Amino acid sequence: MSALLEVEGLAKHYPVRRGLVMARQVGTVRAVDGVSFRLDRGETLALVGESGCGKSTTARLVLRLIEPSAGTVRFEGTDITALGGQALRKLRRRMQIVFQDPFASLNPRMTVGDILEEPLIVHEIGDRAARRARVEELLRLVGLAPFHAQRYPHEFSGGQRQRVGIARALAVEPALVVCDEPVSALDVSIQAQVVNLMKDLQARLGLSYLFIAHDLAVVKHMADRVAVMYLGRIVEEAPKDALFARPLHPYTRALLSAIPRPDPHRRGGHQIPKGDVPSPMNPPPGCHFNTRCPFATDICRTEDPPLRAPAIPGLPAGHIAACHHSESLPPVAVEEEAQPMAPAAARRLALYAERRGKMAATAG
Amino acid sequence: MRRLLRDPVAVAALLLTLALIAAAIFAPWLTHGDPYDNDLGSAMAPPGEEHWLGADDQGRDLVVRLLYGLRLTLLMGAVSVAVGGGIGTLLGLAAAFYRRADGTIMRLMDVMLSFPAILFGLAIAAIFGPGATAVMLALVVATIPLACRVARAAAIVEMGRDYMEAGRAVGLGDGRLILRHLLPNCASSLLVFATLRIGQVILLGSALSFVGLGAQPPTAELGAMAAQGRTFLFFAPHIAVVPCVAIFVVVLAFNVLGDALRDALDPRLRL
Repeated sequence: MSALLEVEGLAKHYPVRRGLVMARQVGTVRAVDGVSFRLDRGETLALVGESGCGKSTTARLVLRLIEPSAGTVRFEGTDITALGGQALRKLRRRMQIVFQDPFASLNPRMTVGDILEEPLIVHEIGDRAARRARVEELLRLVGLAPFHAQRYPHEFSGGQRQRVGIARALAVEPALVVCDEPVSALDVSIQAQVVNLMKDLQARLGLSYLFIAHDLAVVKHMADRVAVMYLGRIVEEAPKDALFARPLHPYTRALLSAIPRPDPHRRGGHQIPKGDVPSPMNPPPGCHFNTRCPFATDICRTEDPPLRAPAIPGLPAGHIAACHHSESLPPVAVEEEAQPMAPAAARRLALYAERRGKMAATAG
Repeated sequence: MRRLLRDPVAVAALLLTLALIAAAIFAPWLTHGDPYDNDLGSAMAPPGEEHWLGADDQGRDLVVRLLYGLRLTLLMGAVSVAVGGGIGTLLGLAAAFYRRADGTIMRLMDVMLSFPAILFGLAIAAIFGPGATAVMLALVVATIPLACRVARAAAIVEMGRDYMEAGRAVGLGDGRLILRHLLPNCASSLLVFATLRIGQVILLGSALSFVGLGAQPPTAELGAMAAQGRTFLFFAPHIAVVPCVAIFVVVLAFNVLGDALRDALDPRLRL
């Protein structure tokens, strides 16, 4: 597979100014601080991390919706960090975005048909009849009906609006779709529909997804590879199964242990990092996670760990982590361990089985 | 709109406003007679059968003058709010859209806002000579910064919404983003502003005419008519009172309508 998107050393620093007249810079918020990754055609890379870690900023940097402070973004082999004017407009056809909040992402004053037609108009795709046909096709593609084109966004449910948002992104036939938490504003039952729709569309249209999320269950379902971000940096990146099976960064472990499991025996078993995320204006020296890490030692407080492949036998290719102690972390408890049944429950189930056997005997 | 029609006060204000506008437009057909036709025989005639609202010191019928005065007053209000509001809106949208220009535009508006409209009127009347045009120019200048602020405030809220970013992501040009996406979503605030502003502007314009900077006698204009009647306040109070009551009713109608529109279009109530 060839790389569709290569991001290197991408950074976005926001100056913080104080003072009214003679504003002077008192600090820098490092929202994104040297992020690198690549995304292949037809692949889904998930960016996960808690609020404020720079996921969405990274997404907007990739789309050139905000200007990076440093780093390069290569899309289909060309550096797009300095594109402008006509070239940038052309690029906009190749990469699109699906937003988190389907209530804010559609212009309430336009009909769905107009919303879907507008990208076609500005990119001069087809004549009027062809555009109308394309709008119908798009609506069908995302599971809506052609008559929905005359309706306004407020006449739709959250899930339907998100389908419209996806249709708008697909109108210009992009190769890359950035999904900025596309389902986290939706009900759980609707989440499944939208996630499955996105997977279908990926298979049918060969899309690549940069999938931003904080819901790891959704990530497990959608992603091929996962990159974990903390304070503007990627701390671990791995193929999905490897990451869930053997996280090599303490922060990833904390994130995974925060997934709720419907199992009363595991109650209270997760390790939540103590304290709050440090301010991105003033990150701690050394490893950014050292203030909250249960495994931190002296080296973590002084030396910034590079993102590297730990020397562990049997580790799949492409599993990298930024931790000094990846090799020596204690193994994670096996996740899907079957719990022994409580005696009372066992007795009751036995009773049911016995009863059912008797009934079958009398009936037969 | 449906919400507006459910409020009886709003309906009354709307009907009154429409009636006033209709009366102003159809003034020549509703009355017979010329607002400048004097008949000294019935000078200062009190309200009665021949002159329903009486006649002024030149014997001109006050009903006729009132309707023609209303015509000029409403036209001045509407034109100055349309022009001033239009310019102000564009500036406000630009300030919200191009954050770089924000400081410059808004400080300029602050400067404009710090001059009283009466002063503008004085200055403009001094340059161009008093008249309806001078008043309108002063009102336009006084309306621009207010409209600019309203438009900017509404636009900044909309700028933060994802559909603006979606538009940019899809490659829309600035003009299209501002006019097709930003403006329609700020329209309800601006409509409320314009309605309320027409009332204020009419009051201001009448004040300017009253002090002699605006429409000159014998032009039929409500403020000028009031000023003219002031001299005879003790002999024939109706000459001043009739235009003053008319101003009051017009301003009240627009203010109540503006308030009702605000209630009906309040985004917090909108679903």
